[in-house]
Amino acid sequence: MKFAKFSAVSAMILGLATAASAADYPERPINMVIPYGAGGATDISARTIAEPLGKAVGQSLIMANVTGAGGATGSVAVKNAKPDGYTMLFARVGSHSVNPAMKATLPYTLDDFRFVTVYEINPFACAVEANSDINSMEDLIAKVNEGGVSYSSSGVGSGLHLAGAMVLDEFGVEDPINAATHIPQKGGGEAVTAVLNGTATFLCTNSSALASFVANGQMKPLMVTTAEPVVGFDAPTSKDLGKPALEQLVGWTGIAGPAGISDEVAAKWGEWMAAAAGDEEFVSSMEARGSIINVMSPEDANAFIQEQYQTFKALVDKLGMRVEG
Amino acid sequence: MQNLHRQTLIGIVAIIAGLFLMLVAIPNWVSSPSNVRNIILSPVFWPYTLAALTILTGIGLTVTGHFSSEDLTPAPAEVSGGYGRLLIMAVVMVIYMFGLPRLGMVWTSMLAFVATAFLVRTSHPKTALICAVCVPLVLYVFFAHIASVAIPQGNFVRLP
Amino acid sequence: MSFVDSILAGLSLVGNFEAFLALFAGVAIGTIAGAIPGMSATMAVALTLPFTFSMQPIIAILLLLGVYKGGIFGGSIPAILIKTPGTPASSATVLDGYPLAEKGQAGKALGMALWASCTADLISNLALILFAGWLASFALNFGPPEFFTLILFSLTIIAGVSGASLLRGALSAMLGLLLATVGLDLVYGTNRFTFGDPSMMGGLNFIAVLIGLFAIPEVLAMVWDPKPHKGQTRSLGDNKVTFGEYKRCFKSIVRGSFIGVFLGSIPGIGAAPSAFLSYSEARRKSPNRDNFGKGELEGVAASEAGNNGVAGATLIPLLALGVPGDVITAIIIGAFMVHGLQPGPMMFILNVDIIYGLFIGLIVSSVFLLFIGSVAIRGFKYVADIPRGVLFPGVLVLCVYGVFAVNNNIFDVGVMFVMGWVGFLMMRNDIPAAPFLIAFILGPLLEDNFRQAMLMSGSSPAILFRGPITWFFWGLTVLTVIAIIRAGIRATRTLKRRA
Repeated sequence: MKFAKFSAVSAMILGLATAASAADYPERPINMVIPYGAGGATDISARTIAEPLGKAVGQSLIMANVTGAGGATGSVAVKNAKPDGYTMLFARVGSHSVNPAMKATLPYTLDDFRFVTVYEINPFACAVEANSDINSMEDLIAKVNEGGVSYSSSGVGSGLHLAGAMVLDEFGVEDPINAATHIPQKGGGEAVTAVLNGTATFLCTNSSALASFVANGQMKPLMVTTAEPVVGFDAPTSKDLGKPALEQLVGWTGIAGPAGISDEVAAKWGEWMAAAAGDEEFVSSMEARGSIINVMSPEDANAFIQEQYQTFKALVDKLGMRVEG
Repeated sequence: MQNLHRQTLIGIVAIIAGLFLMLVAIPNWVSSPSNVRNIILSPVFWPYTLAALTILTGIGLTVTGHFSSEDLTPAPAEVSGGYGRLLIMAVVMVIYMFGLPRLGMVWTSMLAFVATAFLVRTSHPKTALICAVCVPLVLYVFFAHIASVAIPQGNFVRLP
Repeated sequence: MSFVDSILAGLSLVGNFEAFLALFAGVAIGTIAGAIPGMSATMAVALTLPFTFSMQPIIAILLLLGVYKGGIFGGSIPAILIKTPGTPASSATVLDGYPLAEKGQAGKALGMALWASCTADLISNLALILFAGWLASFALNFGPPEFFTLILFSLTIIAGVSGASLLRGALSAMLGLLLATVGLDLVYGTNRFTFGDPSMMGGLNFIAVLIGLFAIPEVLAMVWDPKPHKGQTRSLGDNKVTFGEYKRCFKSIVRGSFIGVFLGSIPGIGAAPSAFLSYSEARRKSPNRDNFGKGELEGVAASEAGNNGVAGATLIPLLALGVPGDVITAIIIGAFMVHGLQPGPMMFILNVDIIYGLFIGLIVSSVFLLFIGSVAIRGFKYVADIPRGVLFPGVLVLCVYGVFAVNNNIFDVGVMFVMGWVGFLMMRNDIPAAPFLIAFILGPLLEDNFRQAMLMSGSSPAILFRGPITWFFWGLTVLTVIAIIRAGIRATRTLKRRA
């Protein structure tokens, strides 16, 4: 009985499978790997776009959180997947520009992936606890030079880690690695909590992660890393402060596949993303969280990530932040 | 063997494991950067502490085991051939792991179900066989279509 | 706005059919999902989240909270019936719940779990409503040094769940602590025991270790010694929990609830340690101490009260500070943000109707939980009637699916199998599994907070004695350790006298 069923099902499905070719892509659901945990910025961004994107694709998208090691576990899962376009990755600033720039032993490089798009950009903001006597970047830098200042992050090799060091470096702090203490936490939420309860002095993180704390008057923003002011953040931009180089310091979310995916697949994703990003509900809900929706073509996305990666890598080498072991 | 209390044996194993950690495992497999400012902040500090505590516990077990009158010998099995069956079970697990990505989770699970049912000498072979087919399929439907988990499908037969 | 006005505003928001339906559906979904090993409450909430995007904010959040509460209770069902905790939080329930099921008293254990859960849930919700502001500001006093001392104290639980020999319990805990070091180092980001494997870099998955340690050894024990004639008589029976038994355990339930409220209101600890702490406190205070671990109803009551007491209280940091207490509340915060709500102190001023609507919904959810839970117990009782020769292979397959689903990673299935063998070896040598688990949960917290504290102070240990909270926990730890040592000496003496 079992065998009969087995062969019947297999005959049916093998028949379908042989008829398939690249032109039919996608003819089954696509696995979308989210390398970070549920409820995080990447997860919410991914699940928000999944709705309009699924309509554009015409197949269901199976969202799978594969967490661990700052996004490395999920990234490697996609790197090793068959490059047939049925396993794609939501790549993030941490997993695909900071981590590769900082970690010598990372089990993947940027060349292992082919980006089909970057669709969301999210500026960084630096903030301190609301009752702190630090009111501006100037105060902060003065404090750092006195000593005893610390900043929190969501872990070694996270965007927050690099951001803290980069901001101090840009503002002329000598030897920022030792001038201020880096206190890593287990995640983005914990990093904010650490500033709230006085464990760390300040942090620089995505504006979306800080928005509610700023609105609630629990935190005081000192700076945002854009040329234009960010709604809800009563703080100078990096351009106002004369540090345009900090505009490189932005979070982003993109979609990538294994390096071997075909041009047809990449082209299809370009069409779908254009359609999905036109969805008004998607755009408004992302903008409400402080993000800028800007769908890049595969070429632009690659250039954008490479440029950010090179900037970060130069900084990491300059400050000696590279993690070797 | 016979003269040693089981607790003493456990203790000796713990001491050996602790020494192995200290002398081989931690130096080789825990990397510590050269720029560590303070020993207590080093990545190897906590593993070394734990290895030392393991050795202490091991010494404690060895000593107390020597004086203990507690009977730790497990009751003999009612059905003989346990080691053989455990060995087969280990092989089943290895095949299970090997088959998951290649054959797919559903088909591998069916085979594992049958093998395990046989190993525990099921008194309901027919029910077990029916369940072996149904349980993985029902679980597949639940996880893949209700919970939308990407259950591994394998290279051969793909379920809808 | 007065208190009555606030309640009326809340009532007008939730006093409709959809709100109650969402809450009811949420609790039902959560209970079922929690009852499936691997489908933890976390996953159930994450899966429900996308469906709530199009709903009204209050209805969406009530649905998610319902799933959360149902999930925490649902986890106790497989913990009692098949020794496989559905969620990490219910692993303490295994200790006495499964022995009760073995004795054919699964019905009693499940009933007690339900009553304890609902009582604790209610207490937790009341604590949220009455003391949210106060507890939240207290929680903000918890920095790394305070955490370190609290967790050091929590590690003394190990003595309470070690069973016959404290030393073997300690060895088990050492194993757990050592395995928890696998992964990336927190401060330097370097590899520890990862062998270059990207799956190991993330550390060993907690649920894979948990299921491997509890469920798989049962399967292996069955393979080792298949006793087909035994266990067929095992059934749920008609035995229900009586009011007298509830009254007997009431003290433990209330104590467990307060432990849950306390630990829940501090972000970053979660329900599993709370359940274990409640369990070990109940054991310490109980006259039938020796029966714990062999099927003591009070043990089930205490651990379920401990984990459900957390459920309402984790909303305290969420609502009052906008800070997630654990993974589940992190997802629920996501839901708030999707709907344009920003949890935090301002929410109590700007969205007071939503806050009070939530409070009313939470109270109602305890009642729903009682109702749905008793239906679920009746539905799942057939599990106890399945012949073991079919049940155990089924458990194996179910665990494989469940563990895979947690992180979509086949590697985790391998971790579960290996831990199964470790657990089996430990079982054969009378080394208890519970200390392993507690150490595995608390070990990384202990190390991380210690190192964070050292970073804060520039490696001066004086920071570990800052403020009254640290002194309080140092004191508690010292007292408990003295008590444990004295009990140990007494036990050795009686053993020698007997010998």
